[in-house]
Amino acid sequence: MTLKNLHGRVAWIFPEQDFDVDQIVGVKNIKIKDVDELARVAMSSRDPDFAAHVKPGDLLVGNHNFGYGHPHYPPMIAMRKLGIAGVIAESFSPGYWRGEIAMGFPQIACPGILAAVERWDELEVDWQACIVNNLTQGTQVPFEPLPEADRQMLEAGGLIGYLHARDKSDAAMEQSQ
Amino acid sequence: MGYTIAEKILARAAGLEGAKAGDEIKAKPDFIIAYDFPGYTDVIFKHMKDEFGIEKVAEPERYALFIDHMVPAVTPQEEDLHQNTRDWGALNGVPVYERKGIGHQVASELGYATPGAFAVHFDGHISQLGTFGTLAIGVRRHLLEAFVKEYIQIKVPETTRVNLTGRLRPGVMARDVFHHIVRTLGPASCRFQVLEIGGDALEHISIEGRQTINCLAMFTGAITAIMNPDETALSYARERARIDLEPVFSDDDAEYAAVHEIDISDLEPVVVVPPSPANTKDLKDYLGTEVQVGYLGSCASGRLEDLRIAAEVLRGKQVKPGFQLHVVPTSQEIMEQASREGVLTDLIAAGAFVTSSSCDYCFGRLGVMSDGQRAVSTGTLNVAGRMGSPDSEIYIVNAAAVAASAIEGKIADPRTYLDG
Repeated sequence: MTLKNLHGRVAWIFPEQDFDVDQIVGVKNIKIKDVDELARVAMSSRDPDFAAHVKPGDLLVGNHNFGYGHPHYPPMIAMRKLGIAGVIAESFSPGYWRGEIAMGFPQIACPGILAAVERWDELEVDWQACIVNNLTQGTQVPFEPLPEADRQMLEAGGLIGYLHARDKSDAAMEQSQ
Repeated sequence: MGYTIAEKILARAAGLEGAKAGDEIKAKPDFIIAYDFPGYTDVIFKHMKDEFGIEKVAEPERYALFIDHMVPAVTPQEEDLHQNTRDWGALNGVPVYERKGIGHQVASELGYATPGAFAVHFDGHISQLGTFGTLAIGVRRHLLEAFVKEYIQIKVPETTRVNLTGRLRPGVMARDVFHHIVRTLGPASCRFQVLEIGGDALEHISIEGRQTINCLAMFTGAITAIMNPDETALSYARERARIDLEPVFSDDDAEYAAVHEIDISDLEPVVVVPPSPANTKDLKDYLGTEVQVGYLGSCASGRLEDLRIAAEVLRGKQVKPGFQLHVVPTSQEIMEQASREGVLTDLIAAGAFVTSSSCDYCFGRLGVMSDGQRAVSTGTLNVAGRMGSPDSEIYIVNAAAVAASAIEGKIADPRTYLDG
């Protein structure tokens, strides 16, 4: 199985280092369970028109140590509901990274991304070449290859799919022995 | 080149001769630890059965469950969750420890911090088992992997080594040391790495202080922290150890991603100001800030040395009228000892509200703040809304400073109240 390349526009750039993703929905909304409601409040403090402008497949761009603090799941549940297909950041905080990879949500560690993009630039994430192509500017930025387990998890659509795939590969390994 | 302690533990857990940072391996955790919490244990139990058809875990002695959040329950739903956990434990033959204290601490008391062992939890504060040379990693929802698979897939992490030198001055605590490390190295300094802490200062830092430091490793970006256990750590851990393992230690020629020396001799008390655990500042610059709430407790702090120094500060004094001082010992074992020593008596006499061990004051389930209130806290975290209203604020300080601030109703320097 191979990962499908991501293709979308830069829907938002988070310039803050150590960005606390809970800010996306706001701490007061972090306990909302309803996905539509979460999507409605997401980004409202930064760009009230965000939901109207974002299109399926769009991407978010972040700075260093994206996801630092005590990340909860609702902010990115909201973002996925709005169609966001992945996050490209200079670097990630491991707790956030693990949590979102387990959800099957692509995260791309790409040093130099912040200087290479502007809002609404059209990007392609090429998993095979480990390159982010900025189609608007005609530039390329290499990103860090995914660890094996993380790649498999994204391919399988998240943790559950990954463990089922492991069931099959473990069984195949036992048979071949 | 030699190996780090983390590399040695993971190699052994993977059945390999050796493993180096960057290797992708399958390792068998010696211990799988969790507390019951909605979205974690309940979902794991459900997925095990519904998705993978597993009724019972294969080796129940490797698993441990704690009931430490939502204790005591305040809704029937919370008690349902706990009962579900008890039932699952009984069915699986997995021990469920409840009302013994905060699991990350009780795990050490019960011997899950076996030197040389590899442990996983969903919660990163399990890193404190590193005090005893146990590699304990918080993996969030990936914990399911350890419930349905014997081996978990993991990339051997790099290690950053921090050598602490010098000796702490009176009134400066391990809690200050940790936040000083964050201030010195930065909140992203150890991303995806193991933070290995050593140096000659450690021999003067108690086991409890080391637990405090290791507990908070995640705020440097590390996935855990570990120390090469000395005699003090080994003598605590060995008599409790649940499995027979040889302790392992980093080789002198181990490879590190970075090595830092941090002298703690001149360190002064610090405060971590809201809304981020990255905001370490000097306490002296925040003296006089009005605070209405104090919290002394959590898996990071709330152990005997924290309670003792708070009692020393408060002995013969009174908590300022209207100020809410919550003292929550980290475990019942600690509480019992503090009671025996008269420490609780001093705290109660000074006006502290002392309760049995629970995680609930740390994450805003009990003792919550309303808009505009401020706390001094030894809790783990100071993000907005952590202890109540998103418009309340948390200033993280050491235990002595919580006690001193409770007397004044303002952020205060504990050294004013301590002898020598």
